[in-house]
Amino acid sequence: MKKKYNNLLIKFFSRPETPVLVFLFFLIFIISIFTSNFLTVANLKGILEQVVVISIIALAVNQVIYGAEIDISTGSLLAVCAFVYGLVAMETGGSWIALLASLLCGFIFGLFNGFLSTYGKVPSIIVTLGMLFILRGGLLLSNPGTVLNLIEPMRFFGMGNIFGLPVSIYCLIIVIIFYHFLSFNTLWGRNIIAIGGNPRAAVNIGLPINKVRMLSFVGSGTMCGFAAAVYLGQAGQIQATAATGFELKVIAAVVLGGTSIAGGRGSNFSPIVGALLVGVILNALTLNRIPPYYELFVLGLLILIAVSFDGFRRKLLEKDV
Amino acid sequence: MNNIIKKINFYNLNRTQVLGIIFIVQMIVQSIFIPYYFSIYGFFDASRAFVEIGIISLGMTLVIISGGIDLSVGALLALVSVSIGFSYDAGFPMWAAMLLGLLAGVLGGAFNGVVIAFFRVHPLVVTLGTFALFRGIAFAISKGGAVSKFPEWFGFLGQSYVWGYVPAQLFLFLILSIIFWIILSKTSLGRYIYAIGNNIKTTTFSGIAVGKVQIYIYTLTGFLVGVAGIIHTSRIFTARGNAGFELELACIAAVVLGGARITGGSGTIAGTILGVLILNYLKDGFLFYGLRSDWGLVIIGLFLIIGVFINEFFRKK
Repeated sequence: MKKKYNNLLIKFFSRPETPVLVFLFFLIFIISIFTSNFLTVANLKGILEQVVVISIIALAVNQVIYGAEIDISTGSLLAVCAFVYGLVAMETGGSWIALLASLLCGFIFGLFNGFLSTYGKVPSIIVTLGMLFILRGGLLLSNPGTVLNLIEPMRFFGMGNIFGLPVSIYCLIIVIIFYHFLSFNTLWGRNIIAIGGNPRAAVNIGLPINKVRMLSFVGSGTMCGFAAAVYLGQAGQIQATAATGFELKVIAAVVLGGTSIAGGRGSNFSPIVGALLVGVILNALTLNRIPPYYELFVLGLLILIAVSFDGFRRKLLEKDV
Repeated sequence: MNNIIKKINFYNLNRTQVLGIIFIVQMIVQSIFIPYYFSIYGFFDASRAFVEIGIISLGMTLVIISGGIDLSVGALLALVSVSIGFSYDAGFPMWAAMLLGLLAGVLGGAFNGVVIAFFRVHPLVVTLGTFALFRGIAFAISKGGAVSKFPEWFGFLGQSYVWGYVPAQLFLFLILSIIFWIILSKTSLGRYIYAIGNNIKTTTFSGIAVGKVQIYIYTLTGFLVGVAGIIHTSRIFTARGNAGFELELACIAAVVLGGARITGGSGTIAGTILGVLILNYLKDGFLFYGLRSDWGLVIIGLFLIIGVFINEFFRKK
């Protein structure tokens, strides 16, 4: 009986997200001492809702990083999809058709990203960096100075409530279950981890690495489309410069959560823990009236600490072997 | 596929020569199709806008040849600019403020290099982190404000003309280009950079201190960003936290268009300079034609992807 307990403990501490989880609770403890209105139900619910958009995209980007690729086009793609959602919603008046259009938009750009970075042999950093700017440029060119305002029924995914819980939380839960299912119950989910762990071995045993990696990009694009519905629902309005720098929050959430940037290590909960950490810190900054321009500084510092930690861990592992 | 390439390339031109021809053709086409476009004055004056990109691209060439990437240069430029402006505002003499800016650049670059070399994290992620960090510090120092009061002579670096129409900073770019060409092709450091880009493991086993070389490369790039930051501040006569926005993209696009492989191992300074010229005169032409400046984002993003695609697709096996 005691042995089993030990095993569970070891299992818990060897999970990639454990250090961050411990750190997160520690941080919440510290922040709640210094900030009087932090540990209230309303505020915590607010953080949770804020984190939904980051988490949905981070979960998908997590899969891309599993496969030792990267997607940094998510900020612009989110804005483009949100525009598509908004325009379709205003045209038709329904939020479900708009969701479909936004998903399709994300799917197409994800497919494009994925195709170029696998079959096109262009490294994914270049493709997605290029796309980050092309999409933003296109958005600025096509909607100069436009502000879209949505009315209540079109903001269902951000504002709606089912059984007392916000719809956005349900959206996140669906995405978590979806990716958890993909990771543990499908061939694709196992393949992407295998490829990230050792690409050469994956090629040698005959895995279709281009196809598997491409699908991970399709996933991140489509999830941008899904998150856009929530994002626009929460914000209520959007302009061409919206979600600038959002890709940084996503990457920060993924690497903070403990997913190795070198691929092959991580879990489907780590990006959520990472996103929560980002959300809690940004929230604490706001509550303590720290000016918003410190936000970037903190994000950068967080990413650097997380990747240094990961690098340090890999260095230790190399010494062991 | 190889036959097609051979047929196209029957003069057996190399990448740099092809780019040179493309540039000349581009200038002729732009001069014909855009009314009042070409003049000697305009030709030189356009370089005021891209000398900073050119200078940083020299360092970026080294970084990319070594198999790395530096996404933080734009943010570092903002930090340099803000350091100059706000230290002058705080009462430092101008020369000390400039020195401080240069120091900020060198230290920022060295920081990148040390984290990359010591923790062996991919440069992409490290510089993505410092991209946010440097700009965050720049915003925090400037508190969202700007400084635009400088002594008159400070404008010399970015606003004066030699012989009436050649911008002064163009000469600085020329000198730095020659220095970096020598570093890359005539020194052992240059050889090491190519070696690291080709195969980092073999290079390590050959007894070359890879980490040290990496720190040199990123520090040199930081130094160049410092120089470019001084020129930038002098040119627009303002120090502001949002300087150098999307600069990293312009630099990377120019370098890969110039023929450097994004995965490392090949690339030349001459190619990079031609890449800078082609991209920026294209942008200049677009602006001259009266198109909105947002097109710049789209063009550079497209050229980035197309450039790498051509590099990888037509690479000799």
